[in-house]
Amino acid sequence: MTAVSLLGTASYLPARVVDNDFFGLDVESNGGAMFRGSRHRHHVADDETAVSMIERAAARLGERLGAGAVHGVDLILTNVTCPDLPFTGCGASVARALGAHPRVVVDLHNAGCVSFVYMMKLASVLIRAGEGTSALLCNVQNLAGRVFRHPGNRTRPQSAVPGDGCGVGLVAASAASPIEAIVVHAFGEHADDMQIVSDDGEPWWAPRATPMHVDFSETRVGAIVARGNRLVPEVVTEACRAAGLPLAAIDVLVTNQPNPTFLRNWREALQVPKDAHVDTFEDHGNLFGAALPIGIERAVDTGRLRPGDHLVLGGFAHAGDYAASAVVHWYPAA
Amino acid sequence: MKVDVGDVSAIPGVRRIENFPKEAMNAAAMELTHAVYPHGEVYGRYCTLEEHIECPPEEVFRYLADVRTLAEWTYSLRDFEPPDARGVVCFRDKIGGETLIYTRVVANREAMAVDYHCAWDQGERLWMIYLMRVVPAELVLDRPGSVVLWTNCKHPYYDANPFPERAPAGRKVWVGDLWPFFYAGHHIELQNLKLILEHRHAHGLPVLPEAAA
Repeated sequence: MTAVSLLGTASYLPARVVDNDFFGLDVESNGGAMFRGSRHRHHVADDETAVSMIERAAARLGERLGAGAVHGVDLILTNVTCPDLPFTGCGASVARALGAHPRVVVDLHNAGCVSFVYMMKLASVLIRAGEGTSALLCNVQNLAGRVFRHPGNRTRPQSAVPGDGCGVGLVAASAASPIEAIVVHAFGEHADDMQIVSDDGEPWWAPRATPMHVDFSETRVGAIVARGNRLVPEVVTEACRAAGLPLAAIDVLVTNQPNPTFLRNWREALQVPKDAHVDTFEDHGNLFGAALPIGIERAVDTGRLRPGDHLVLGGFAHAGDYAASAVVHWYPAA
Repeated sequence: MKVDVGDVSAIPGVRRIENFPKEAMNAAAMELTHAVYPHGEVYGRYCTLEEHIECPPEEVFRYLADVRTLAEWTYSLRDFEPPDARGVVCFRDKIGGETLIYTRVVANREAMAVDYHCAWDQGERLWMIYLMRVVPAELVLDRPGSVVLWTNCKHPYYDANPFPERAPAGRKVWVGDLWPFFYAGHHIELQNLKLILEHRHAHGLPVLPEAAA
């Protein structure tokens, strides 16, 4: 079977930094445990698009891996939380911006906070099927500046949680930094526990006076928390087993970043020391799907992730409708 | 008349030193002892908490056995009404908005056991049972005060409200939805109990509020 590698990731964070005071609420008490622990987050500028964010992150990836490696990709996969246009994905526009000529473009609309692993899986499948030799994976989180900073949402406790950012990664047919296992799961029974609602009751696409926000069913919060606590350790354990990696041999764990309580619980369950688990929540809030590639970059830049390390990725999406994990035997491109 | 009930070691699965040597016992103990336990494994079917309280056991028992004190140390039981003929008291459980919760205390002074038989919305079938026991800390911890043990068992009604027609109109939450948070909620309530009783005991106040009158 063709070896497929994760060769590197890079980020772009919007210039606008927002601290807790912006939300006009006491994040420490008012928001409850679900919303504690962040000090800053970035918000996209009003004229900033998903494509422009990907372009900037891709330029940085080019500095790390060589511009040719990025512009020469033949697969582009994207996941954007708040798309630039209602019903088109941005992958083709990304190709234009990068001057790339991909054979396959996939604009994923699912797997949310763990869509980077989901895209790793799809890219591996496409590469092994002969559809290309390298893939650019792009995660854009831009809901914070586009939806949660709206005056009608700003003082909701949930609005302080998201932070914007873009992470991109390069996956290629290569044995240099091999992906040793990828596990993805979909749980249809959890799909309806998160809704997008608006105070006036209108659907998000309808013209209306109030902004949309996220609604985790009040009756299911206990179940969703219990589910989140369980799903990630389970799927990480499954991926490590598939890779033949004992949990104690995890060198660096990068997960999605919903809140500090989940991060603590996942570490405890997997018995991963705190300094081996990348935590970007305090500085960037919940980066949704972009948390994984941005977290990997941070692990590299801080010297935490070293050549030969076993890098383990994991997370869950929304109210638990997807969970995924991957194991990478990390050797960054020189 | 003496009835021969047979050798208990012959009952399949019973493991005693006669049929289960110490080496096997050690191996089984090793296997059964994990470094960490998932929350659902520890608190999924039963939810047991325990706490030491710096207050004499007789006083703790007297406090718990008086149903009115639930309006003090619980998070959300308020506005109780006098007991009916069966000794059932009706409170409002504010965690469920306008929800009524019916409660009967079954206490045994000798065993220092206090059980609250409760139910949301109706008082005929009291199926939410809070089992509490007060133990003299002198006996079990060699220190003054009391140990309080508190267990809930996950009755099937927690999974599905058997009397939905009795719920207040428009209520979305069901008490069983909160089961994953029972440990947390009961932990906070047990701390309330500890703080209230320790405060009153330390300051020489009566543990029951109206006893001062």
